[in-house]
Amino acid sequence: MTPATSLGVLLAFLQSDPSALGIAEFNRGDYKAARQHLQQTPSDPQAAVFLALTRAATGECDAVLPDLERRFASTQPKTLHRLTGLALAQCQMSSKRFAAAGAVIAQLESDYPADADALYISANFHMKAWNDAIYRLYQKAPSSYRVHQLSAEVFETQGKYAEAMAEYRKAIASNPKAINLHYKLGRAVLMQSHDPAAMEQARKEFSAELSLNPFDAVAEYQVAQILATQLKKTEAAAHFERAAELRPDFPEALIAVAKLRSEAKRYDEAVALLERAVKLQPRAEVAHYNLMMAYRNAGRSAEAQREKVELEKLQRPPEGEFTDFLKRIGEKAPAK
Amino acid sequence: MRRLAVTFLCFVLNGAETGTPEFRNVASEAGLTETIPNGGAASKQFIIETTGSGVAFIDYDNDGLLDIFLVSGPGSASRMYHNQGGGRFREVTRELGLTHTGWGQGVCAGDYDNDGYTDLFVTYWGQNTLYRNMGGRRFEDVTEKTRLKQDRVRYNTGCAFIDYDNDGKLDLFVANYLKFDFNTTPKPGANPYCFYRGLAVNCGPRGLPFDRNLLYHNEGGGFRDVSEQSGISKPAANYSLGVITGDFNGDGLTDIYVACDQTPSLLYINHGNGKFTDEALLRGTALDENGKALSGMGVAAADYLHQGLPSIFRTNFSDELSTLYRNRGGGEFEDASVESGMGRNTRFVGWGCGFFDYDNDGWADLLVVNGHAFPEVDRLHMDIRYRERAILYRNRQGNFDDVSESSGPAILENHSSRGAAFGDYDNDGAVEVLINNQNEPPSLLRQSKKSANHWITLKLEGIRANRSAIGARVKVTAGSLVQTGEVRSGGSYLSQSDLRLHFGLGAATKVDRIEIAWPGGGRQVETALAADRVVTIREK
Repeated sequence: MTPATSLGVLLAFLQSDPSALGIAEFNRGDYKAARQHLQQTPSDPQAAVFLALTRAATGECDAVLPDLERRFASTQPKTLHRLTGLALAQCQMSSKRFAAAGAVIAQLESDYPADADALYISANFHMKAWNDAIYRLYQKAPSSYRVHQLSAEVFETQGKYAEAMAEYRKAIASNPKAINLHYKLGRAVLMQSHDPAAMEQARKEFSAELSLNPFDAVAEYQVAQILATQLKKTEAAAHFERAAELRPDFPEALIAVAKLRSEAKRYDEAVALLERAVKLQPRAEVAHYNLMMAYRNAGRSAEAQREKVELEKLQRPPEGEFTDFLKRIGEKAPAK
Repeated sequence: MRRLAVTFLCFVLNGAETGTPEFRNVASEAGLTETIPNGGAASKQFIIETTGSGVAFIDYDNDGLLDIFLVSGPGSASRMYHNQGGGRFREVTRELGLTHTGWGQGVCAGDYDNDGYTDLFVTYWGQNTLYRNMGGRRFEDVTEKTRLKQDRVRYNTGCAFIDYDNDGKLDLFVANYLKFDFNTTPKPGANPYCFYRGLAVNCGPRGLPFDRNLLYHNEGGGFRDVSEQSGISKPAANYSLGVITGDFNGDGLTDIYVACDQTPSLLYINHGNGKFTDEALLRGTALDENGKALSGMGVAAADYLHQGLPSIFRTNFSDELSTLYRNRGGGEFEDASVESGMGRNTRFVGWGCGFFDYDNDGWADLLVVNGHAFPEVDRLHMDIRYRERAILYRNRQGNFDDVSESSGPAILENHSSRGAAFGDYDNDGAVEVLINNQNEPPSLLRQSKKSANHWITLKLEGIRANRSAIGARVKVTAGSLVQTGEVRSGGSYLSQSDLRLHFGLGAATKVDRIEIAWPGGGRQVETALAADRVVTIREK
């Protein structure tokens, strides 16, 4: 059969089957035509599903919601189940039934974890929830320090660190005892600049955080890092040790303490700490790198080689669609 | 009383004077007024516009005064300036026959034919050029004659002459950045590798295809490409820029270190049988202390701790630290950037760099020249800018103090600098710095007040070893001060510094002992040399 003949047979089949024709129109996005064809075969269960999907897509959510709910809960072929779920979640969000939509989206994410449409609708749902919550916060508690904190966090995500710092300062002025604000301010200061004055300012903020919450291992670690940069080695070491004591599951602190042990030529202790860090974060290049160096320094060549292999594996660029695309660009033959 | 106290503070180390330097840019009065073009000044469409170019201090006519060579992008030939004495330079490009134009990148020098005159190798995107020095009167392009013509267009960057097999003839290493073609390289913003902080900028190096590095063996009369058989062509997954050579593992053989952009840097260990292997990762010079590959550009090496071991310094991109790899012996290194005092400068994109003892106190200080890759960055109005000042670190017995703010106006001038070379062009004992600035005239940094400390400069001449003595290692003892150095071709960012070795001697008025390990195994000792002069030592 020639391709032209095959196409002719297919068209003849479609013209004789309104369900098939309706599904084809739905897939093309011509919902008006789809509806006309699908309504002609109310007894065809597949046509009924696509008719519900068509109505959902054309704004009749309230009318088809019960039908979509029933169909999503029942066993269906996987493709229909997915399409029904997506339409149902979209309709529930339009109808402001957010709790129900959240449950359907969770189910979709679980059933189709790598599906772009499911992930997109999930992102939409959470973005809307975030926007609504912010709106309520600004409406109902406009003078709360949380308003400034949230504004600062938004500025941070936009890379506007000076504005973020100003908002964190207002939040601190409004609630000086709130934890995490000094830490976040210190971090924003460091994002803005690493010059000596900024470092010292950030160190003061992290120290202020520690005076509010002496058990904050991350603030301890930040203070230690700045002190190390300021060449205050002894003071830095004490803060690194304290960070690791506070949080024995804090890989960065373990790595920092391991470096101190290596400097003191206590290689076995360094190795033990770094093995723990690798166990906690098996994909962390920093942990593998430092373990490799500690093995090397301890004269344990075979283990150092083993870590080198692990590190090289982690450092390979991810293979994927984008990488392949770039490879194709790169390998295109130069013009003569 | 106050004046007395200040004076006392200035004299602290080994009786050496350690006052504040004052660097001034004397390029204009020296006659270096021509702009060196390098791609777009306000925006750059392609990565090729970001990487040029290097500079060189070489004494091409053996008159004892360093001359100046500036590598140029399209729009000008690379320029040679003759040192006329008295701090003046005269352009002699055409009369010397240095005619090649194009996307010039790097330069390295060495007497490849052992005729007593230093030859010049210039790298290009396109075809490299080997200029043979014809008795100091002109240069002849011998690229084709010496079989250095390449079979295709290559993006050649750093280079170094190196006698890797110690046969007395200089071989040649050439780094390659990536495969670049104007017709196939995506335009700014074309893919996620073509953005910087939300700005569409030129693409790469990520996303552009790798190329491989090259090693040419000097067969006498011509070169042979031994990249494959020597192992230099492997690995081929690095974007190679700056090159420095040295005996990093103390086995008497010259190794090669390559600063690589956005990929692990390379340390080719010379096994002495014509073979090299890259051992940078396990030796600790590939990544930073967090196991991350940085954007390596320039590279320098020195025994900055007086341990008798060469450590390696590499410049990187903004939001990264420059990296100081301390040599812990046996060719093993560790990242000492933060603990040595280099943990604060993260807003600069560093290029040319070099250890040099500006105050002659016997401790090698460090200069880094900077400038962003993307002129477009100025649109962001942040503290990272296209034109930036330099950074001067003073070596305080192994710890580095950033003295940039108090070292004179030349350090604080803003340029988008690339190559930097170091040499004492007026033989007064204070080392000067030559800097290539993109689309501006070069800078020539000279100290307006000279340290009272003593110094010695050594010009080595090989007999069995190659005539330039490249690869010779020197130990200088003056009282309690013991320093080591090595004659190197290449280095910094695609640049060539003076082939002579300069040592600050602090308060010592003589050198007690000089031990030279010539490439090939010859050993020589010289004793009781007076300070404050240039001394030529010929291999015995």
